[in-house]
Amino acid sequence: MWLLIGAVLLILYMPIVPVLVLSIRGDAAGEWTLRWYHDLWQTALILRALRTTAVVALIVGVIASVLGLVAALSIRELGIPRLILLAMLLPLFIPGVSMGLASALFFRLIGIPPSLTTIVIVQSLWALPFATLIILTVMAAFDPVYLEAAYVAGADRWQAFRDIEFPLIAPGIYGAASFSLIISINETIRTSVVQGPWNTIPTYIWSTYKQVGLSPVLYALMGLIIVSTIVLALSYLVLTRPRASRG
Amino acid sequence: MVPLQGGLTGHRVQRTIGLLSYIGRRALLGLPLLFIAAFLIVPLALTIIVSFWERVGLKFRPAFSLASYVTIMEGARLDVLLRSIFVAVEATAISLVLAYPIAYFLARKARPAATRIVLVLFTIPFLINYIVRNVAWTGLLGRNGTVNNTLIAAGIVDAPLDWLLYSDFAVFLGLVSTYMPFMIFPLVLSIAAIDRQSLEASVDLGAGSFTTFRRITLPLSLPGIFAAIVFGFVGCLGESAVPIIMGGVGYELLGNTITSSMDVLNYPLAAALSSLVVVLMLILMAGWYLAFDLKTFLGKILEWKS
Repeated sequence: MWLLIGAVLLILYMPIVPVLVLSIRGDAAGEWTLRWYHDLWQTALILRALRTTAVVALIVGVIASVLGLVAALSIRELGIPRLILLAMLLPLFIPGVSMGLASALFFRLIGIPPSLTTIVIVQSLWALPFATLIILTVMAAFDPVYLEAAYVAGADRWQAFRDIEFPLIAPGIYGAASFSLIISINETIRTSVVQGPWNTIPTYIWSTYKQVGLSPVLYALMGLIIVSTIVLALSYLVLTRPRASRG
Repeated sequence: MVPLQGGLTGHRVQRTIGLLSYIGRRALLGLPLLFIAAFLIVPLALTIIVSFWERVGLKFRPAFSLASYVTIMEGARLDVLLRSIFVAVEATAISLVLAYPIAYFLARKARPAATRIVLVLFTIPFLINYIVRNVAWTGLLGRNGTVNNTLIAAGIVDAPLDWLLYSDFAVFLGLVSTYMPFMIFPLVLSIAAIDRQSLEASVDLGAGSFTTFRRITLPLSLPGIFAAIVFGFVGCLGESAVPIIMGGVGYELLGNTITSSMDVLNYPLAAALSSLVVVLMLILMAGWYLAFDLKTFLGKILEWKS
């Protein structure tokens, strides 16, 4: 069984390695260089895309984790848990292109031009199911008895949440934020439909690939995406390291 | 009289504040639902509405016209639609056949620490932009790619294999490696949520391990299987980048037909094609919602009163 798992993982990881190798290979055989990464910093379009990606990712990280937290609370409090959960999971089950098209039509008909706002909304929608599930998982380990204790001690709902529950589920919230950040910097199809003139790194890669194909600079950009995703994923793991339970 | 009245007013003020904070709290808690409704459900409904609109030149206007659907049913697009469904079914089946044993093993046999590590290893490729991963495949699988060079150097083949890229094989590889990693998660969740006592009871009653699997584990993990299938199938059916990257020029599936309709600004046609996928997805989701108690599936992470 480990053999099957190993083989599947090997196939999943196989394409990643050559990208990293090609992104640091020079023109001459056996020459290694960071020139292509350096070139990224010389191209105005790429710099702009980098900035857009970073700004959007930070905003999406905040919005999706806050909405995910409120969604997790509303699943517990509002009395219609099944319906809320289904609604929160809905974005997972809609193909990127359908979601992109729907958003594009919607924004067009209500007159919101493609902008950072539309990108943030679309990416937050996509990140929300993951953020909600992560926070729910952490909340499941929280015993509501502590809240009862706080009420008995005279705390109101907000105080009880702020002083008792929030500190205990905070790792889940940071986890949801970093996961949403990763989702955001990798999202392509949905973004490319509503971005207008605002390229992010993945949509820049995608449109350049379609128009001119592969180049060392493109490999460097792909390498950048891969490395930052892995770094963020590892920091996510550190943030949400389980103390006792497992999801 | 006066103090009493003051007391009454004070009481009323307090009740009003209480009511307001109750409404405020409800409104706050309803925010995510509102977000989904406003920015997802309304736009999806809009897609279905626009699919009946008329196309006039490069614009579109409200109407009730079946023109887009007629276009789909008449042209070569019907073939594309049918082939897309076929490809999506196959790719999902392959993914499930790979994912289920892995999920079963991770949920039942492997040590928790090992399970966690392996799940992380499956998460990372899922997170890395799948367009980047698919583009990376093209470098490996091309005529002068690493795979062909290795095969030739090892003497396994004489000439480069052509079917590795821009072929059905490549498209399936792209779809499976894109959607399979995530399908493992609902499967692991649902298998792990099965009560060990029912397994022990089955063994105590004399059932073999295969019978136990067939009669207990398989049926009880159906919610996870169904979730994985819906995720994989709908994803593959609407996939727009993989056919372009891995299928090459002229490889048309539903997803990239939608994007190419958008590129020529034929929004009603794009909307009609997209609506087919969305309606199919809604039917599957409704079936999932009605057939399974989400609690049995997410029981471990959800403790609600229902």
